[in-house]
This record gives sequence, structure tokens and C-alpha cells, in this order.
Amino acid sequence: MTTTMNHPAAATGKSRTPIIERLNIVTAFALGAISAFVVWRLALQFLPPDSEVRLFTREDKITLLSMIAWFVGFMTGIGALVGPFRWVTGKDLSHDENMFLAGKDMGIKRYFRYTTDHKVVGIQYLVITMVIFGIGGILAMLIRANLGTPEGGLIHPQAYNSIVGTHGIIMIVGTIIMVTGPIGNFIMPIMIGARDMAFPRLNALSFWLIVAAAIPLIWAQFIGGISTGWSAYNPLAGQAPLGMNGYIMFICIFALSTMVAGANITTTVVRMRAKGMTWNRTPIFIYGVVASVALALPAFPVFFLSQVMSGMDRALDTSFYNTAGGGSGWLYENLFWIMGHPEVYVILIPAVAALMEMAPVFTRRPLFSFNVAVMGIAGISGLSILVWAHHMYISGWAPLLNAPFMLTTELISIPTGMLFLVLVGTLWRGRLWMTMPTLSIFALLWNFMIGGITGIYLSDVPADAFLHGSMYVTAHFHYTLMGAGLTGALASLVYWFPKMTGRMFDKKLSWISFWMVQVGFNVTFGGMFIVGLQGQPRRVEAYAALFNKGNLITSIGAAVIMSGMLVLLYGVISSWRHGVVAPMNPWHAKTLEWTVANPIPLENFAVLPVVTSDPYGYGKEKK
Amino acid sequence: MTDLMPPTKNKWWKHPDVKKTFIYWLILTPAVAIFGTQFHVLAMPDPASEVMSGVITLMRVFTWAASPVAALVFAMCATALTSQRHYGDNPPAEADHQISNSPRANALWIVISAVMCLFALVVGLIVLQKDGDALHEAGAINVNVTGQQWAWNYDYTNGARSEVLYLPVDVPVIFHITSKDVKHSFWVVEMGIKMDANPGYTTEAAVTPNKIGVFNVRCAELCGLLHAYMQNKVHVVSKADYEKWLADRSALEARS
Repeated sequence: MTTTMNHPAAATGKSRTPIIERLNIVTAFALGAISAFVVWRLALQFLPPDSEVRLFTREDKITLLSMIAWFVGFMTGIGALVGPFRWVTGKDLSHDENMFLAGKDMGIKRYFRYTTDHKVVGIQYLVITMVIFGIGGILAMLIRANLGTPEGGLIHPQAYNSIVGTHGIIMIVGTIIMVTGPIGNFIMPIMIGARDMAFPRLNALSFWLIVAAAIPLIWAQFIGGISTGWSAYNPLAGQAPLGMNGYIMFICIFALSTMVAGANITTTVVRMRAKGMTWNRTPIFIYGVVASVALALPAFPVFFLSQVMSGMDRALDTSFYNTAGGGSGWLYENLFWIMGHPEVYVILIPAVAALMEMAPVFTRRPLFSFNVAVMGIAGISGLSILVWAHHMYISGWAPLLNAPFMLTTELISIPTGMLFLVLVGTLWRGRLWMTMPTLSIFALLWNFMIGGITGIYLSDVPADAFLHGSMYVTAHFHYTLMGAGLTGALASLVYWFPKMTGRMFDKKLSWISFWMVQVGFNVTFGGMFIVGLQGQPRRVEAYAALFNKGNLITSIGAAVIMSGMLVLLYGVISSWRHGVVAPMNPWHAKTLEWTVANPIPLENFAVLPVVTSDPYGYGKEKK
Repeated sequence: MTDLMPPTKNKWWKHPDVKKTFIYWLILTPAVAIFGTQFHVLAMPDPASEVMSGVITLMRVFTWAASPVAALVFAMCATALTSQRHYGDNPPAEADHQISNSPRANALWIVISAVMCLFALVVGLIVLQKDGDALHEAGAINVNVTGQQWAWNYDYTNGARSEVLYLPVDVPVIFHITSKDVKHSFWVVEMGIKMDANPGYTTEAAVTPNKIGVFNVRCAELCGLLHAYMQNKVHVVSKADYEKWLADRSALEARS
């Protein structure tokens, strides 16, 4: 750390700053905006007018082309092409240049460039996840505000539908990256005893793709919005305003990011575990992260293609989803849910696995049934790619397949039960060290139990014929994704905060926000269960007076959640800036990330560790 | 639970934690079951068909079946929370054991969840079969349902058209559902049936209303700007009233 960087420019004797050092977030946004503008202008000038009578087609082409230009410009501007370009021209990056890319001795600036150090990428992911949850939360509060009275009307229906869709899709994206992004990138390589990810440049790529994806989504809000809900069913998406193109681009770029991150994390874990870290000694959190990203690997290309086809239907007048032209909306539904169901486990598994990792630490006893935990994770991952059509029981697509899909869906309760067994088994006869993560284990068991049992009702075809498309479904998946998933993610934040920032998370604030969020959450979605059972459909901007009470309960609960989240945000900022300086291993845990000093040196380990046992050796030996 | 098997001769069920959990479980099981069923049944609308009664029964059965398992998890949590808690910035002493597995507990847990799963499946299949048979009911009346942004239209076999659904009580009815534009979902709330209306395809759903009254039809699939307002009423009337209404409607249609 003492040597100053050998300047690449100085080495070659040129006085000009080399291009690799000039690229950062500013050049990225500038180049992105310029290329989008130029392509938009050219397309406006030269694209022939539509010959057919069809709304939007020419505008769709122009919008999509400009967005693609934005994407290419942004990625070039941030420096994603430097590595491949240098490699193609035969002048691969030197060691110094790689060190520069890793952000060596760069201070705060490294967070605003194409930095390859996994710890920088982890912090970048953490910040963008918090931004996403902030925006998604504000949108949720707008939805609740509009549903404050039965008549709605506070927000124009078009804008309201767009808010519902945007809230949905960005929260899905936020929850997908909330654990595997910050924790998976920052902590995971240290936990397995590696110096960095297998492909550091791909790591930076996966993050900056998300930033690139965000702009089309924001853009979309100004050209008609996403008025289709997050699922963007066709043919509704085909007749939606131009904003739909923003959704299409957003999904395509985000899917790329997920694929890149998936390949990177999987390779890292398979190839780069420390010496002696056999699969039996690999922490359970690692299994969770790998299962999650490996599940995303088959799921997201399908999502990508479904949106490419959706864009072609709009811009090129193809008929993939248009029945009149020989296509089918059912095709879209199938493709969407082939992504959509594995995706909920992409969200859930790492969050549960993180709590499994914390359970032995805070009960001071070994993890109960490591093998069952692995079986549970593997079982869920395997089955989750076979259940997608339970979202289509009442679509009329294939009534004969309802029974088999009911079978596969209900089978998932067996591996899910295994995760419960591992958690309660670890709590059993443990010495509970009461911290916010410990409380989160109980909160997860409570919320996930409710989410899981309501999931069994929904998996049943006749019951689903009543419940499908109602607020009951909305409440159910919030119980799983937020009640279980987000609870695990917030616990991860508090647990790994000392390692990521070098300071302890303020204990009092973590407890206050925990109770506010959990109580508010159960009130919110308890009320939503009631209106769903009474018969209120999803995604409505007005409702019958009958649903008044339940909606009122939900709105009050939502306000409590928001207040709790603000307390948490204050806790993050104040603890990060002037919290108590954390010792190396504040939780007295036994995984490898707690063996490196704060702040963590650039390549984590001076000498790579050798692992001789699993990390769960707590408790006294039997006599 | 068998993970409590200590090396000494003590029986595992004599451990105080086991006794505590058992007592909690005995209290929590009926509590969860009663709360769970009441929560669902009180909120759900009064059934206006056998199908809906079946749904309510399913919810009761599933809640009762799930409650011992949920109560066991909650009871174990309660035991853990009430046994050994430690507050402070430093960890408590490590636990007095190193139990990291229990093949018997694992096997028991997996077998129980598999049996529950099978139970849910069989119950579901029985009801599903019954609902499926309704599509081939002899003597059923046929109604064509067409969804469009943002209204429902009903066509009867004798040429009558209506924007409000009229049905005779205790007569099976088969809906043939389609859409003119985007996907909608035809939901007769109090009768517990729902089927998507897809452009270019016709889907079917069957029900026998068994109660005279006015009930709700709502669209359950986001279909654009005024999705929230795509709802109207279904009037279930006596057979004589229905015949009269139908004759009036078709006469009206013939005139126009």
C-alpha cells in the first residue's frame, strides 16, 4: 500500500492522460446522452413513414433505436469496452493498468468509475439497492395515497397504472440484487478465501449495466409510462404508449447484467474457494448465493427474449403475441413465468441462506443439519423451474396441465419445509444473543410461514380460481419477498455492516427500525389479505365501499413501514459516518471474512487461508 | 426433537425445553387454526354457488391441516425465546452441546411434510375433478361472455344481448368467454369462478348459482386505463323471472 502507482502514461513517456484514466460516470452519461440524441435525430430524419395503419410503429422504432444508442454510448463512456478492445488489438492491460482499474489508492473516486475491485462493486450495489428501495417505497406510498379513498382519483388512471408497474418492476429488480449484489460481491469472495471474483471486469460490467438500464426506465415515465403492471402482458403491452419501449430496454439490459453476474459468481465459487474448503466446509450462505444466480442463468435469457419479441411486435409489426397475426398472448405468459417463478426464488434463497449463516453465530451452537439445508436449497432450485404455469391456472391455456402443475407447486413445500427445519433446529437449545439479526430470524419464520401457507392455498386450482388476480395474491407475495426476503437482506446489512464500512450499525436504531418495519408490514399485508378475500382485484385505482376498512388498515401499516425505513436509512448514514469503530470480528463468528483486518486491503489476503473445518464449530464438546 | 438424545440414559422427552414446547404447541395449534379459519371465512363473501362453498371448505381444511405444523414452528420459536436470552455487546457463553444433525428429526420432518403435501394434492384434485365435470353438465344454459375495454357483454343462445348478466337459480350455466381487444379476466366473485378472456380464443367456465340475489362481476386482469371500473352485476332470479326477462330481451333485440 505504500508504493505510489506507476503511472501508465509516465511509463510510455506521453504527456497526455491515457483514455483509460479519463473515463468515469461523467463521460459515460455524456457519451450516452450524445449518442442517444444523434441517433434520435437521424432516425427522425431518415426513417420512412409507416405505410400501414398502425399506431406508434415509427415512433417505437425511433424510441428503441435511441435507447439502444444510449446503452452503447453509456457502456463505451464508462469504459466497458477498454478491456475487450485492448485484448482484440493484442495490447492486453498491464499489471499497473489492472491495478488502476481495481481502484488502487484512488479514494472516493473509484466508486464513480469502472472499478473492478469486488469490494467497490459491493458498495456500489448497496447504494443502488437503497436508491431503488427508496424510489420503490415512494411509489408504494403514492399507490396507498391514491387508495386512501374508494373513489381514488388523486392520480390520473394512466399515471396510476404506470406507478403500479414501475413500483413492481423496480422492487423486483431491487430484491433480486439486494443480497447477491452488496453481500454477494463484497463479502462472498472473502468468505471463500479469494482475492477477488473470477472475472473482475465482468463484475464491474454487471453493476454498470444496471445503471445503464435505469435510464430507459426513467425515460419511459416521460413518454407515457408503463401502464401494464410489472408483468407487461401482451397484447396489452402492444397497445401501451411509447413508455413500454423503456420497459423493454430496461429488462433486456438488466437481464444481461444478471447473466453476467450469474456466470461470474458461479465460476468464482466453483473455482476459487480456499484450499481445504470442500463443499462440506463451504458456508451455507455461499450455497444460497450460488443457487440464486445459477437459477437466474436459465431464467433471464428467457425474459430477455420475451422482451425482444415484445419490442419486435411493437416496432417491426411481427406477430409473436398477436392472435390476429397467428401469435398468442399465452406464449408471452409462458415465457414470462418461465422467468417469473424461478425469479422469486432467486430473491428468496440468498436471503434465507444469509439468515442460516447468522443463526449459528447468534445462538452459539452449530448449524442444525447442514445437509438438509443444502438439500432444501437444491430442491427448491430444481423444482422452481417446473412450476411456472401455476400462474396460468385460469388463463385457459391448458386446463389439462393444471393438475400436474398443482403437483409440482405443492412439492416445493417439502424443500421449503427443510429450510424451516434448519432454522428452528438451530434456534433449538441455543443461547440466543439478542441482536437485530437474531430477531430477524424469528420475523422470517413468522412471515415466511404465513407467506408459505397462503401459497399452498394459491397452489390449489379451485381456491386459486377465487383468489387469482385479487389483492390476496399481492399480500401473499409481499409476505414472501418482503416479509422473508427483505427481512433477511436487512439483517445481512446489519450483520455485515462492520466488515463493509468498518463501523458498527447503531444497535438502538436497528431495533427501532426492525420493530416498526415488522409491525407495519404485518398490519399492511394483513389488511391486504382481508380485501383480497372480500374480492378486491389487484391493480385497481378505485374500489367498492366494502373494501374501505381493509384498505385503511393497509394504508396505516404502509406509513409505519415507511417511517421504520426512514429510521433505518438514518441508521445507515449516521453509523457509516460516525458509528463505533468495529473490531475485526465483532460477532465472534468463524467464517473467513471476519479474519481480515478493517479496512480490508485491496486483495483481501496477503497469504491465502487454508480451511480445516466447517465454520459452525460452536458449543461445547460432549463429555 | 430426537436431536435432544443425550449420551446419558435420560429420555429426550424429559428435557424441560421439550415439555415447554409441547405445552406451547397444545395451546397454539387450536389458536392458529381458529384464527386462521375465522380470518379467511369471515372476510370471504357468502357463497352463491356450490363451487364457492367448496372453496370456503378448502380454506378451512387447509388451515386446520397446516396449523399443527405452523404451531410447532411457533412453539419452538417461543421456547427458544423464553429459555436462554442474552443481551449485550459481547456474545454469551457457547451452547452446552454441539448437536449438528439428527437423522431421525430430519426424516420425521420430511415424511410429515410429504404426507401433508400429498393430502393437499388429493383434496385439491377431488374438488378440481368436480369443477371440471360441471363443464359437461346436461341441460346447462350457455352464455357467451365478451370482454372489451372496459365492459362485459353477454349473449344468450336465443339472440338476447345484455350488459348485465341474468341467470336462473339452480340451473347449471356454462360461460364461453372471449375478448375483443386485450386480456381480461371474468370473475363472478360470490360464485367463486374466474376465467381469463383471451382475444382470439374461447375459454369455458361452469357454475350453478344456488341463491337468488345480486352479485358482482369484476375484471381480475389489468386491462388498461379503466380496469378498476370494468365491473357489473349478475342478477340471479327465479326460473320464471328469468324466462320472462329472456323473452323481453330477445324481443328487444329483434326489434332493434
